Amino acid sequence: MLPRVALGLATLAVLVGLVVDLSGSAPRTAGSDHVSPAVFAATVPGGGTLCEPISPLPGDAARAQLLIGTYGRPVPNLRLRFLDEAGRAVASGDLPAGAREGYVTVRLHRERRSPAATRACVAVGGSTSVVFGGEAGSVGAASELVNGKQQSGRISILYLRAGKESWWQLLPTLSRRFGLGKAPLYGTWTLAALAVLLLGVWIAVLRLLGRELR
Amino acid sequence: MSGGSLAPPVGTAPQPPARAPARALGPARGVAGRVRDAVTRIPRAGRVCFLIAFVNAAIWGVVVPPFQVPDEIAHFAYAQYLAETGKAPPQGVRAQYSPEEQSTLEALNFFSVIGRPQMRGILSPSEDAALRTALAAHPSPRGEGGSTPVSNQPPLYYALEAIPYWISPSHNILTRLALMRLLSALLAAGTVLAIYLFLRELFPSSPWAWSVGALAVAFQPLFNFIAAGVQGDNLLFLASALTFLVLLRAYRHGLTTRRAVAIGAVVAIGTLAKLTYIALLPGVALALALLCWRQLPEGRSRALRTFGVAIITAAAPVALYLLLNATVWHRGSATAGGIAAATNGNLPGGGSVTLRETLDYTWELYLPRLWFMHHAYFARYPLWDVWFNGSVGHFGWLDYTFPNWVYDVGRYVFYALAALAVVGVVRTRAVLRRLVPIGVCFAVMALGLLGAIGYAGIRYKLSSGYPFEQARYLFPLLALYATFIVLVARGLPGRLGLALGGLLVVLAMAHGLFAETLTISRYYG
Repeated sequence: MLPRVALGLATLAVLVGLVVDLSGSAPRTAGSDHVSPAVFAATVPGGGTLCEPISPLPGDAARAQLLIGTYGRPVPNLRLRFLDEAGRAVASGDLPAGAREGYVTVRLHRERRSPAATRACVAVGGSTSVVFGGEAGSVGAASELVNGKQQSGRISILYLRAGKESWWQLLPTLSRRFGLGKAPLYGTWTLAALAVLLLGVWIAVLRLLGRELR
Repeated sequence: MSGGSLAPPVGTAPQPPARAPARALGPARGVAGRVRDAVTRIPRAGRVCFLIAFVNAAIWGVVVPPFQVPDEIAHFAYAQYLAETGKAPPQGVRAQYSPEEQSTLEALNFFSVIGRPQMRGILSPSEDAALRTALAAHPSPRGEGGSTPVSNQPPLYYALEAIPYWISPSHNILTRLALMRLLSALLAAGTVLAIYLFLRELFPSSPWAWSVGALAVAFQPLFNFIAAGVQGDNLLFLASALTFLVLLRAYRHGLTTRRAVAIGAVVAIGTLAKLTYIALLPGVALALALLCWRQLPEGRSRALRTFGVAIITAAAPVALYLLLNATVWHRGSATAGGIAAATNGNLPGGGSVTLRETLDYTWELYLPRLWFMHHAYFARYPLWDVWFNGSVGHFGWLDYTFPNWVYDVGRYVFYALAALAVVGVVRTRAVLRRLVPIGVCFAVMALGLLGAIGYAGIRYKLSSGYPFEQARYLFPLLALYATFIVLVARGLPGRLGLALGGLLVVLAMAHGLFAETLTISRYYG
């Protein structure tokens, strides 16, 4: 009896822990430009603009996060725009002057849904230079342009979804993402199927232990 | 033969119809029957543990995105080269991956994800479409077999992985990878079953302990993370667990010719799986000598014969591998497939590492530095930082972990478990005392592994500047970990011990579950 009671209580405790863990709300990612903020990869003078080609802006991107260094000064105002092939703004956002250097988040305003953005541009206000986190690299088609001049490297842009979400709220998105980038046989159903399988595994273990620990 | 006809010659008496099929099917039926008998001899709980471990590892294999298991890109490249060409990779400075794998890795944004915990792979349908477009171009699956971190390993694991590669109903690289990952899950389940049977030999009067120890391994999250991918360690773990099993079984029941063959076969599998296994060989040799010595009262010639059977069974496949290296695969020399590199004490640049440096490094890898050791090789104490925290969970390409408090709490839990294990040893001393001789051999195996990690570690660190050690390198000793778990449970008397055993399994399952949610948040959240 004692082992079974212990098993039952322990399982209940794990379930409670799981529910608490999945209920925690936090900002969730919508993707990135696949560039990590490993080094300061671009210096943009005050009044200058940095542009770089990007893969399509994710549909659920509501904010963009950049790593900015200002050598201790307040961050000047920034304007971030995502442009389509024709140079029209697909999404844009402003960061008022005065933020502290480090990671800054720019709220995006979607101006049109299609066509997809192909370029991101950051206009730096004020009169002092700022540096952007990103990756160094050789000059190429994918590298950044500062004031129209091509430079080596790319800056990192991390996209965030709107507000804060718990994992429960994110479940439909997780299910969709779970089927991507894998063998074609997987799909949106896969995460739910795995959860059911895992539940079966837990039940099998508890039944086995219930028998073995008599 | 007359014209190649299979018909009986005219005028000869026809063969009795019943006997020919009986001869043809007899061996097959015999093998199938023996396998069925062997399976049914395994307790039902053992078979359930195997199944649970397989399904759990297979789930991990879907959760972890393609190629995100450490070094999976290199292991897959080896298996694909072998499957496509029938040869081990020739190595050398040439393309490491096939055009198909390279193109897939780029489309998966693989190189921007590893080592960067804030980066994700494919999150949007447009990125997925780009991946499918890249695969639709049908880049060649045949690579050049250039040197990778694993291309100097023996080919057994990769030859096995070639089977799901070939039988995959689709030539899509990701479908093939998914099937190949299932083989790793199967090997992991085999490891769990071997550990179950090992515990059955160790604690024959406590059937509950067999399941508790095996299930603790089955849910160990780092073990499952490795089992999730195409990774040669999976066969190494299985071979190591089987080694502990066959040696203990021979110790308890005597070294028969069949058991000598089993020991030799397991040693051959381990040696041809991954060169790390060589580190266990001194302990295995000592165990074999012990087993033969115990057999001497039955006749010196019989003892020598079984010893010889074990040696020949182990050596023949390894000799064949060395021969193939030199003659068919043209890898330079017989020992070129990693054996030469593993036994070369010098650094690639020509420098050398002294014995004292190696001993100091190896000591500091596991124990506090002593006053006469002048060089501090590690900024943080590896016992906790690498081995303990790593076993609790350093996942991916070592790029994401649990929150720090988990490791802090885990350390206190470990202190409590270690104290209980000591009590368990005292309470089980009557059983364990009889096993001291083989236990010494197991200790030599463990020390051999610890020493080999230190030996390779200092050379890697001095030549590359990067740390070498990872917690998974200790997993050939998973059988001893399971023994530890059982001893913890036996630290409490009677039903309290049973309850603790159950709690330990639930703790392991919870550990695995939260590692899975962590993994999902890392790659998809």
